[in-house]
Formats: sequence, structure tokens, C-alpha cells
Amino acid sequence: MELANQLILLGSALLLLSILAGTLSSRIGAPLLLVFLGLGMLAGEDGLGIQYDNFQGAYLIGSLALAIILFDGGLRTPIRSIRLVWGPASVLATLGVVLTAAITGGAAIYLLDLDPIAGLLTGAIVASTDAAAVFLLLHQRGMELRRRLGATLEVESGVNDPMAIFLTITLVELVAGTGGDMTFTVLHGFLLQLGLGALIGIAGGFLLAILVNRLDLAPGLYPVFVIAAACAVFGGTQVIGGSGFLAVYLAGIVAGNRRLRANQLIRRFHDGMAWISQIVMFLILGLLVTPSTMVDDILPGTIIALVLIFVARPVATFLCLIPFNFSRAEKLFISWVGLRGAVPIFLAIIPILGGMENGMQYFNITFIVVLLSLLLQGWTVPWVARRLDLELPPVQEAEGRVDLDLSAQIDRDLIGYRLTETSPGANRPFRQIQLPPRVRLIVVLRDGSVVPKYKIEALHPGDYVLLLCPPEQVLAADKLFSSRSKRAGREVRLGDFVFDGAKKMGVLADEYDLPVSRQQRDLTVGQLLTDLLPNSPNVGDRVAIGSVELVIRDIREEEIAEVGLVLEPEHPHLLPPGALGRAGALFSRLRRRPVVMDGNDMPLGPKAGLWERLRRRASKS
Amino acid sequence: MEIMDLITPTAVIANMRVTSKKQALQELARRASDLTGLEERQIFDVLLERERLGTTGVGNGIAIPHGKLPQLDRLYGIFAKLEKPVDFDSIDEQPVDLMFLLLAPESAGADHLKALARVSRLLRDRNICGKLRGCDSADAIYALLTETQASHAA
Repeated sequence: MELANQLILLGSALLLLSILAGTLSSRIGAPLLLVFLGLGMLAGEDGLGIQYDNFQGAYLIGSLALAIILFDGGLRTPIRSIRLVWGPASVLATLGVVLTAAITGGAAIYLLDLDPIAGLLTGAIVASTDAAAVFLLLHQRGMELRRRLGATLEVESGVNDPMAIFLTITLVELVAGTGGDMTFTVLHGFLLQLGLGALIGIAGGFLLAILVNRLDLAPGLYPVFVIAAACAVFGGTQVIGGSGFLAVYLAGIVAGNRRLRANQLIRRFHDGMAWISQIVMFLILGLLVTPSTMVDDILPGTIIALVLIFVARPVATFLCLIPFNFSRAEKLFISWVGLRGAVPIFLAIIPILGGMENGMQYFNITFIVVLLSLLLQGWTVPWVARRLDLELPPVQEAEGRVDLDLSAQIDRDLIGYRLTETSPGANRPFRQIQLPPRVRLIVVLRDGSVVPKYKIEALHPGDYVLLLCPPEQVLAADKLFSSRSKRAGREVRLGDFVFDGAKKMGVLADEYDLPVSRQQRDLTVGQLLTDLLPNSPNVGDRVAIGSVELVIRDIREEEIAEVGLVLEPEHPHLLPPGALGRAGALFSRLRRRPVVMDGNDMPLGPKAGLWERLRRRASKS
Repeated sequence: MEIMDLITPTAVIANMRVTSKKQALQELARRASDLTGLEERQIFDVLLERERLGTTGVGNGIAIPHGKLPQLDRLYGIFAKLEKPVDFDSIDEQPVDLMFLLLAPESAGADHLKALARVSRLLRDRNICGKLRGCDSADAIYALLTETQASHAA
């Protein structure tokens, strides 16, 4: 009895502490997951002394948490994003994972003197990016990325776990040496994982949506029903040998893109559940490690982490994205956001559960890799995004918005805003405010009383505005009524001057002497950009015309609505200008054959390594 | 291209009194007419035409109205600080109180773009805009506008 009470107190205290620490950490920009992980470690054996080494239990909790996080991520992924990025994301999630695993594994074999299978296993364990970390990081602090870029990273992290899990399990089985015709089993197993995962996930998503809309439940039960169904999809797929992770993510995408009854309720609930899952999962993983036993593994772990971060992931990313038309800056960014998180740690439990003799070592090395990835990459992602000039101006989203779900039969929601000084709709003549199509103003409340519509001359800060709004116009309404978040740091701008996308290109070309052809002059600015862009246009996409650039600022109803003119296009660079050139010059100087001056200096053969050249240079000076 | 090449001390207005976007452009056109000898009406029409293409209110209370006139011999700039901000249909919906007018000859081409870029870069600096808003005399404003480029060039 006493123990149960103590456990409840302890667990809730840890949870509370995590939330509070999380709030503090966002001030110094530390990645939240790192904070949770750190708290777990602090509470663990080397800190407060909580003994926890139940790997079986951690595996169970980790699976569950990951399933919930993936489902929630799926719910929030609009189908449009999937259409936009399924190509690059799926190549990254399959070939990319194999390449990353192979390169990291190769380095482990070569540098750490591991036997081939152990090395490859190490590579496979750390090969997938972490959905929890990527989702959280990309949405934290209102960082806005070009849609194609952000969506690629998210979808990749959502669907690449099966590949890594599959590689890991296969290699563990290889080590265990069950024998038989391996190539057949491997391929068969892989197809089974993917095929069953995709099939059950998509079917499950549809079924879930139908059931939610058909069943008459107490409102509070809808989200519970959904989460139970999601877990059932996960568990069921796993039991019959498919990839539950893929299934639950796909089920989330399918369900999230259908109209659901109690939509808001479900989303809110899942948002909370995803948070709990993230906190609990990382706390548990932090509790699970014992830093004092990791000392021996710090060096190899660091080497693997560095190879992974600086070689394997970038090489894999650049190779996989060759056919997809990403800019160099975008490829660099995707390489850098190869965040490792719970999945690798979780995969590293498999060798332990599989009873491998060096099981603990895999776990420790993986833990160090994850820790370094969160520290090094997680902490710097916003900085890198700014540096590479990939950020978009913040969209005002939901700041001060209240939603009311009316009914599944009515396709409009009731939404309300409290205007602030910074809401674009405030302090403007009411006549000038153009509500988006199908949006109806219901009432304006000022100082606690209703203002009759004919009496409204302007909306003031402090007014409450209630609207009837179809879901697809909610963002447009946000643009008018929610407050603009003032963000510290450099402003992100999309061009010096702004033009309507429907203006004729000829007029613009005359004004600024832009070099465009006769045919191009007859197009609208939007049409020209659509023609010139290799992919479907997205906010933030740029096209160079002569010495200036045109950048897409806004897209409404699939049309380019607003375009910015960038007078001085900047070329983003991570390193200070010239640094790369200097490094290159140094490198080529090292490669050059030393000139024979006194006859004693033997000319180096073409095969002499870099090390040999360095040594000779050092001894000469 | 530096600010000093675009603007003279006489082309700075410290406290312009206008109540609307149209009036502001009109007043600037009048000043530009004094400066260039061209007809006020013609300048105003060019500016209005440009505003129809898209607002030159670039946000943060700044507007950079501009246009091309065939008869000009060189680039002309005028800076005006408004006594009271006016609504300018700016991209951020904020009223405008700092204006930099830029007129270019028809043949200016690349120079026109460079000058616009230079002005835009200058007024993107919140620090400078804050100081400009605190200035009361045209001389002080001119000094601020032109001093900055020394630090830029350094």
C-alpha cells in the first residue's frame, strides 16, 4: 500500500518537475527532450538513486508512447503535405536509413574494430530519425519552415522507424544465428513488415473514422475511443508481424484528414497524450541508463555520433535527394535535422532483450549518440535554419483563438478571438475588413455587452469576436484576428516590396527592368513563378530574375496570391564567407607534392596518405 | 551606391503634415517638382501608378514610394518624417511615418534597383529608424541618413 502511494507521488512529482523544467528550458533554447532525459538521469541510480533497470518494462512503455506520438503526428499531417513530399520522404526513409546504417556501421567496424555484424548492428540501431524529436523541434518556438522542407523531415521521421527496426531485428537474429536461407527470410520479413503495416494502417484509419462518426458516445469518450483504437492498430499489426509504427502513423494520417465528430476534443486530448508520452518515454529512458557504467563507452559512442552526424547522415541525405530538386541549403538542413531520439535507445534494448553478450554496450553507445545528437543538433536547429535562410515569417496561428465544435453534420466551426493591439483586424475601419469566403461574423462583445452590427465602426483591442467559420478558412481568419507574435531576433522577411500574384509580369518587368521574354510578359506573376519552379509552388519558394528574386509570400486556394520582390538576394552560408575557400586552399596545399629542394626529401608517391604528408610537413618546418 | 549620392540636405523634410496616403504622395510630388523642375502632376501620377501595382509601405512604419520618369537626368531621393503616421495600406497594416521617395530616370536600370536596395537596407535597421523618429531637425536627419553608410563602408 505504502509503496503504491510513494510510487504515485514520485511519478507525479517527476512529471510536474519535467513540465516546469521544460518551461524554463525553452527560455535558454534547450531542446525539451534533452531536459526530460536529463531529469530521468538525475533521478536515476547515479543521482537521487531510483533503481530502475527493467528493460522489458521500458520496452513496453516506449512502444506505447511511440505509438501515441506517431499517431498524433499523423493526425496533424495534412494530406497535402504527404502529396508534396512522399517521394523524397520515402526514399530517405528506406534507402536513406540503409545508407546511414551502412556508413555508420562501416565506420564502427573500421574505427572501433568491431566484427562486421556487430558494427552494422550499431549502425542500424542509430539509423532512423526520431519522430518525437523532429515533430517537437519543428513546432517549438513557432519556427516556420518552407512547407516542403518541414514536411519532408516530419514524414521521413514518421515512416523511417520500420526500416531501422527491421534492420536491427534482422541483425540481432543473424547474431543469434538461427540459420536457414537468410536472404529469403530477410526480404520476406521486410515486405511483410511494410506491406502489413501500410495495409492495416490505412484500413484502420478509415475504419476508425467511420466508427467515430457512427457511434453515439458520451463526448468525453470519443478521444478515449480513438486512442484505444490507435493502440489496437499498433498492437494488432505488431502481433501478426507487420510494422505497427508505420501502421499507427498511417492510421493517424488517414483519420486526421477525414471529418471526425468531436474533432477538436480528439485533437486536444491527443495533444496532451503526445506530451505525456514524450515526457514519460524520455524520463524512463533517462532512468534506465546508469551514467557511471558508461565511462568505457564514451569514446566509441562519441566517435559513432560524430561519424553519424557529420558523415553518414549528410552523405545519405545528399545521395537520396539527388532526384528531388532541393537546394544545397535545404539538403544541408535536412542532413542536420537527422535527430536521434527515443527510437534508437528503444532499439538498443532489443539486443539486451535478445540476450546478446555485449547488449549493454550497444545500449550505452546508442545512448551517447542520442545525447550528442540532441545536444549538438537539437540545440542548434533554429540557428542553422536562420543561418541557411530557410525560415519563413511566423504565421499567426491560434493565438487567442477559441474553437467550438458544433456537430459532425455541420461543416462549420464556431471560433472566437479576443483582439489585441497587434491583431491586424484591430483599430481599422470595420468596412475595410474583408472576411474570408463563407465566414460569418456572429457577434462582437465589447466591455461585456453586445455591439449591434450596424453600430460597429471599428474593432478595438479587447473586443471579443465570434465567427462561424468553415475549417478550411480558419487560418485565413487567424490572419485577421489573432495577435501577431513578436519574436526576438532577426526578422524573417519575404522580399522588399509586395505584389499581387495576379498582376501582369510585363508591368513589373517595365518598372524594374527585369529581363523577361515576350511570352513571359503576358503571364501573371503567379503563372510565371509556377512555370519556373521545378515543383508545385510553396510559400518561401524563390526564383531569380536578372539580379533580383521573386519570392512567394502567400498562396490562397492553390493560386499564388502574393509575391515579394527581393532586391538584394542573399546567398545563405553556414560558415563565414571565405572559410570554405580557405579550408580548400589549405587542403590542396597539403595534397600538393612537396618540392624536392635538397635531394634528401624523397618525393612522395601518389599513394602516400594524408597523414604521411602532414608528418613530413611538420618535420620539415 | 550610397545614400549620399541620392539625397541632399534640402531634400529632407523633418515634420511633414499630412493626413492621408494620397496627401503624403502629393506633398512628396510637390517637393520633388521643386527639386527636379518636372511637373508635380506627372510625378504624382507615376507614384500613384506604382502604388496600384502594390503598396510601397514595406512595414514597420516605413514607405519607399518610387517610380521612373523619362526626363530625369539622375536619381533623386527625398526623405520625409511625418508629424502623424498615416494609413498607407502597408503590408503589416501599420501606419507609416517615415518615407523615402526615390525617382529614377527611365534608363537607370540597374542603378535604380541598387538605389532601392540601399534605401530598403538602410530603413530595415530598427535602430536607425528609432533615431530618425527621435530627430526634430532636417539637418540632424540628414546627418543620420548619411552617417550610417560610413559605418557600413568600414
